[in-house]
Amino acid sequence: MSVKYIPVQWNRSKWGYDAVLLLGVGLFLWIFIHIAPGLLNHERPINPPIRNARAYGACAFVMLTIILCIGPLARLDRRFLPLLYNRRHFGVMTAAVALSHAYFVLGWYFSAYQGATRWETVLFANTSYGQALGFPFESLGIFALICLLILAATSHDFWLKFLTPPVWKAIHFLIYPAYAALVGHVALGAFQARGNETLAVIFTGGALLVVGLHIWAALRERTRATPATDWVAMGPASDIPEGRAKIALLPSGDRVAVFRHEGQLSAISNACAHQNGPLGEGRILDCLVTCPWHGFQYDVRTGQSPAPFTEKVPTYRLKLEGDAVFVDPDPNPPGTPVDPVPAPAGTPAQEAPA
Amino acid sequence: MKDDPFFVGYLRVPPDLRLFLTATCLALLVGAAGLAYALSLTQDDPGQSRPRFDFGPQTVLGVLELTPSPILHVTQGTDTIPDGQTLMLAGQGKNGAVERAMELEGQLVQATGVLFDRGDLGMLQLNGGNAFRAAEDQSAIPDIPEPESLGRWEITGEICDGKCEAGAMRPGRGIGHRACANLCILGGIPPVFVTTQPIEGEEFLLITGEGDEVLPPSLIDYVGLYVTLEGDVARHGDMLVLTVDTETVELVP
Repeated sequence: MSVKYIPVQWNRSKWGYDAVLLLGVGLFLWIFIHIAPGLLNHERPINPPIRNARAYGACAFVMLTIILCIGPLARLDRRFLPLLYNRRHFGVMTAAVALSHAYFVLGWYFSAYQGATRWETVLFANTSYGQALGFPFESLGIFALICLLILAATSHDFWLKFLTPPVWKAIHFLIYPAYAALVGHVALGAFQARGNETLAVIFTGGALLVVGLHIWAALRERTRATPATDWVAMGPASDIPEGRAKIALLPSGDRVAVFRHEGQLSAISNACAHQNGPLGEGRILDCLVTCPWHGFQYDVRTGQSPAPFTEKVPTYRLKLEGDAVFVDPDPNPPGTPVDPVPAPAGTPAQEAPA
Repeated sequence: MKDDPFFVGYLRVPPDLRLFLTATCLALLVGAAGLAYALSLTQDDPGQSRPRFDFGPQTVLGVLELTPSPILHVTQGTDTIPDGQTLMLAGQGKNGAVERAMELEGQLVQATGVLFDRGDLGMLQLNGGNAFRAAEDQSAIPDIPEPESLGRWEITGEICDGKCEAGAMRPGRGIGHRACANLCILGGIPPVFVTTQPIEGEEFLLITGEGDEVLPPSLIDYVGLYVTLEGDVARHGDMLVLTVDTETVELVP
């Protein structure tokens, strides 16, 4: 959490995350650029700018594929949540790698044309938009790159606060059209140029993995959440362990998380005010609900972050009918205190480890 | 409910999670190395083309012909360029030499430049300034071979620019190079057709243009793609020249 904006709030996890990231990118590029030419053993080597463009382009595709796998993986298995913790650095680095790819391509293929700069030639060199084979796949790459640059430029929490989370979140959904454009860019470009089986397996496998994991995670989530009207039934209070929550889908499409804390039940929005992280998948640490994505914390009774932090999330009213818990689907304004509802006596309260 | 270890970024990593995260990091690093290795080896051999900067500037005399791409029938070569070789001519970068050659058609010219060489495909990249001019003595222009018609052919292959294919780029063909080839051809670089099966022993054919255009405009959408087409082939010196019947061009899936 933050009360002022500094470039990066570093901690051991972020240092470790970025170190592994840099090592992986460096390893990929080093093998592609410096080791592969010896293995390929071409009598006349591929021009270095072309080799570099391919290396950075392939690396960007792999990175974006991994980034898009992290979200559903973390929903399917919470042990992957640490990969999501610093995903913004992953995204910024992917944008930098993709920009390097564009730099080599523009400087090599699109320069040295009299009367137009490389920025202009890339727009008119190929205008066969009406045909699939020979389509100007560069335009798809440009679109994907612009999306990645927008996401990288607005990745800081300053922009999250400035734009408001819903707008910021909507902008960052650009990652999906960007990936679709990137798949098209590769499918109509490198994939056509090199009808290679290995390339086909890696490329289609990566794209299918992203789609498959998203569908799997969505199906899993649908079976967990229970949409309803009026007061929403949450099931028996005994299903909610101490320090943990149960999540329900509301008719509005929002999700609510009902927590048990010190034998009492409280409900807050499932969406963290930071990046809409799933609060209901978090834990109560030091009496505060802790988001599993970036550790933002809220008092479960008020939806407010502890002072001096200012983040707030909506709260919800609860009622009990016997052991059955019901939640009012109409949210209270963010930060509205709601008295907790004592859980029925005798219901089990499994202690969740901190 | 299963009690998974709970990760909070600014706290120490739970002991139960350390082994999993270490294994995940190692898997990502090994995966990155493996993917880089596998993807890098999908690159095809770009062939034997290369610019011969190592030979230095070459100065030759020859008779100029326009298709309208300029080709030079060398009558007085160098140690590297034999007499009788037919060279395509181009300017620096993505610039052709059509305008410079217009007023020299049919004359004996002196040309200085760098040779781009791909076996039976040769191009001279002309130096700037006075490096491409009419020879001082035009009194005895040597005879050059009359074009010899080789008939109509149906051929399969790719249209690309003669300069990149001859060595300006490795590789200098394919869809990845399509936009670059378009720019080269728009700039006046002689276009060539690379066949899948040799014709009269030749793999490369210079394509004739229309008017001032080095390539018939309707063919620009087919550059860099695998196509089949019909056309008339003629031998000009030691170079084959293809006049494409633009109605017959088809993409090969």
